[in-house]
Amino acid sequence: MLTKRLMGVITVKEGWAVQSVGYRLHRPLGRPETLAENLDRWGVDEILVQCIDRGERGPDLALLSRLCRQGLSTPLVYAGGVRSVDDGVRAVQAGAERIAVDAWLHDSADTVEALAEPLGAQALVAVLPVSLAADGRVAWLDHRSRQSRPFSAEVMALLRSGHISEALLVDWQHEGIHGAFDHRLLDAWPVPELPLIGFGGLDEPEAIRKALSRDRVVAAAIGNALSHREHALQRLRAALTDLPLRPPQYAPLSTIAPWS
Amino acid sequence: MNAPARRLTIGVVDYGAGNLASVARAVTGLGHRCRVSRDTDTLAATDALVLPGVGAFPAAMAALHRHRLVEFLQRQARAGQPLVGICLGMQLLAETSSEHRVTAGLGLIPGHVHPLEEAGWHIGWNRLEVRQGDPLLGPSDGEALYFNHAYVFSTPAEYVVGVARLQKPFTAAVRRGRVIGLQFHPEKSQLGGQDLLRRVFDGLSGDATC
Repeated sequence: MLTKRLMGVITVKEGWAVQSVGYRLHRPLGRPETLAENLDRWGVDEILVQCIDRGERGPDLALLSRLCRQGLSTPLVYAGGVRSVDDGVRAVQAGAERIAVDAWLHDSADTVEALAEPLGAQALVAVLPVSLAADGRVAWLDHRSRQSRPFSAEVMALLRSGHISEALLVDWQHEGIHGAFDHRLLDAWPVPELPLIGFGGLDEPEAIRKALSRDRVVAAAIGNALSHREHALQRLRAALTDLPLRPPQYAPLSTIAPWS
Repeated sequence: MNAPARRLTIGVVDYGAGNLASVARAVTGLGHRCRVSRDTDTLAATDALVLPGVGAFPAAMAALHRHRLVEFLQRQARAGQPLVGICLGMQLLAETSSEHRVTAGLGLIPGHVHPLEEAGWHIGWNRLEVRQGDPLLGPSDGEALYFNHAYVFSTPAEYVVGVARLQKPFTAAVRRGRVIGLQFHPEKSQLGGQDLLRRVFDGLSGDATC
């Protein structure tokens, strides 16, 4: 049986891992390589590395290469600065299994599907920072202008086309706030055929259960909360054994490198 | 990581498609030497070949043709050099694929690649069910491994050594002698994937009857 997933998220700004709060405040945490090594050892189902300041500079291939050289044995999803087919292909060649796109969707959604030709739709994830508008519909944030608006017809067509395999639905207003994820976003999501990954204040077992109990939600993405407590991931897994998740796992001592 | 019983040299076929570095790191992590190359002399001198792949079938086959690797891989496999196809690399072992358009594959294992029937794609961790008691995969029966694909390999049952399920079973591993294909990513399947990969390399490169 295909399990649902717990993804660990590393947000990177100016080369440093940061805790992001509401897409506005960024507190430094340390080296992304260290966080990735921990998430890998703890056994998250996927690691999302999102570089939030790449803009026109393209994907951070140097970071991807460093992560890859670490020998991570966990699938890596990369987001940040991917604005062309070539960017996406290079990011995969540098070490990512999957590519997530954000700003490109705002600027030229009709060209994103071209990335599915070399990589396949299974490799493509849409990052969609959203909130609930006053009319109950989902509003989509352009983080550069900080303006929210309805989804354009081009983006809706892309999301329904089968060229994108999953959408990371980011509750950006509650990102970084303990237990604050707004589950109404999952129900108001207008493309039922596209599987969802919930993210943003989704860190408590009950909130994750509530999200993953929905058929359309295939994964919960969790940010810095996994680093706050000893065995945080295994505690989550142990608390969610009623869901189709991998059970808690503890790496044998023989696989852990000794301190030097 | 325990040292392998015998240190092998594994050739990772570099045809410009996919995440070669992760595969190479997994190989060296098992204690083996790794040569990432598209030079046929270099690859022919290794104990086993790995054909990785992320992406679409036509682009991958075009790249193999462009680098003059198609005939080389067919020749080496038929001569008995172990070959391990991973994810798209497994699908490339087939005769044809209908991804985007009908494209000829390497034809090393009879069968065809076509879209998953039950879903648009199969992404995440799923359990491997080993078939035919394959000695290399057997200890991994029931292990959760990482899959990321939208197409599947249909082949006669005699070549199927592992399946996974959505509602119905589909091919997760194929084998014909020393040619083996793994639809999942062992290099990205944590400890369970590493154990499986170790057995595959050791087994394929050792006793021919394994």
